[in-house]
Amino acid sequence: MSRYDRAAAAAVALMLVAGAAIFLYAPADALQGTVQRIFYLHVSAAIAAYGSFAVVLVGGLIYLRNGSLVADRFARAGAVVGLVFTTVTLVMGMLWAKPIWGSYWTWDARLTSTLVLWIIYAGYLLVRQLAEPGRQAARYAAVVGIFGFIDVPIVHFSVTWWQTQHPGPIIVNDALPPEMLATFFLTMACTLFLAAVMVVIRYRIETLADGVDQAMAERVQLVGPREPEAEPVN
Amino acid sequence: MTNSFAVAIAVARKDLRAEWRTRELVPALAQFVILALVIANFGFQIDARNAPSIAPGVLWLALVFAGLVAFGRAFAAEREQASLEALLMTPASPVAIFAGKALAATLLLVGCEAVLLPALALFFGTPLTVQVVAAVLLATIGMAALGCLFAAMVARVRARELLLPLLTLPLWIPFIVAGGQAVQVAMGSGSGSYDQAMALLVDFDILFLVLTSLAARFVLDE
Repeated sequence: MSRYDRAAAAAVALMLVAGAAIFLYAPADALQGTVQRIFYLHVSAAIAAYGSFAVVLVGGLIYLRNGSLVADRFARAGAVVGLVFTTVTLVMGMLWAKPIWGSYWTWDARLTSTLVLWIIYAGYLLVRQLAEPGRQAARYAAVVGIFGFIDVPIVHFSVTWWQTQHPGPIIVNDALPPEMLATFFLTMACTLFLAAVMVVIRYRIETLADGVDQAMAERVQLVGPREPEAEPVN
Repeated sequence: MTNSFAVAIAVARKDLRAEWRTRELVPALAQFVILALVIANFGFQIDARNAPSIAPGVLWLALVFAGLVAFGRAFAAEREQASLEALLMTPASPVAIFAGKALAATLLLVGCEAVLLPALALFFGTPLTVQVVAAVLLATIGMAALGCLFAAMVARVRARELLLPLLTLPLWIPFIVAGGQAVQVAMGSGSGSYDQAMALLVDFDILFLVLTSLAARFVLDE
């Protein structure tokens, strides 16, 4: 078992612990019943997405400053993981909204800005794919990642800046009973650990992929591009 | 500083002169926005009652897509002639070159707005007031800075027509939120404060002008 396998196994085990706390320890909500249990993972995934996009931002800034490949790979890893957690946030939010608000989607500022966040980082990955691999892709993506991060505070403060159907901050407002609060903090810690493990594993994958690209480039330099197969002679 | 300023003006003049001699982009954009109004008419069944509530949306949709075309074209000619590399090889700073191209593209889009706004007033019967024009122009500044930055980026990337809207549109949303509110209020259909929306537009303009001028070096210098 490699370090990565062990870390992944630990993350899965912790998520199972969080799941047990959500369903067995935390009390059911008086008004919403059991569907309120979506809250724990929904909010934790959103925070993990913020964190991952912060990795993209910082990685991009460092890359633009000194061209560090390590920073660029972390940025790449953060974008993929952040996109996964944004997807989780959106899907879980929609599942929660259907029974409580009566529809999967409403165009309020929090939902809309989160959807925009998803689109921005999907665009980030598209830039990485379409730009010339190497310096160009890294630079362009860094710029997109820095501009894209502007949406993160907009998502976060949307519930205070605008009138939204989405509820405002409840953790900092001390609106939860202690069992719910404990479950939330446990779930958040486990989710953040999972996100960190995902970023590290993704970083490893990016490093290996870079190695393959480099080996291919060196081979082309040494041997020249592969000759096309000769036409069969009849 | 004065040198950079002179470079930016020279690049903008070059682009505007090229447009003046060919007269390609602005007439095409004008036709494009008129077509957008025609299509909106069929999509919405516009009459005197619903026009004030629909017109702002049609205005921003037409403007956003015309803007994408305008900014995409800003770097197209340079790419086709491979002249951007030559421009960048001169001692002029890349930021000044970018500023010049952005300035020219902005003015061309303003030319397109000079057709769009009166046409909207004519066909939709909405008021063409100073407030509407001011909101559109304020939004144009920041949208142009962002649009040109990403146009410069995608100019050297595969599938550029696809990538430009995907990168630009999400970041234009702040301008459409604030500009949309300002125009709705000015056309008498929205709620909220016109002054507040305009102040927000100024904030966004400053934020994105500063950010794009910082980022332009990394995009052009590639």
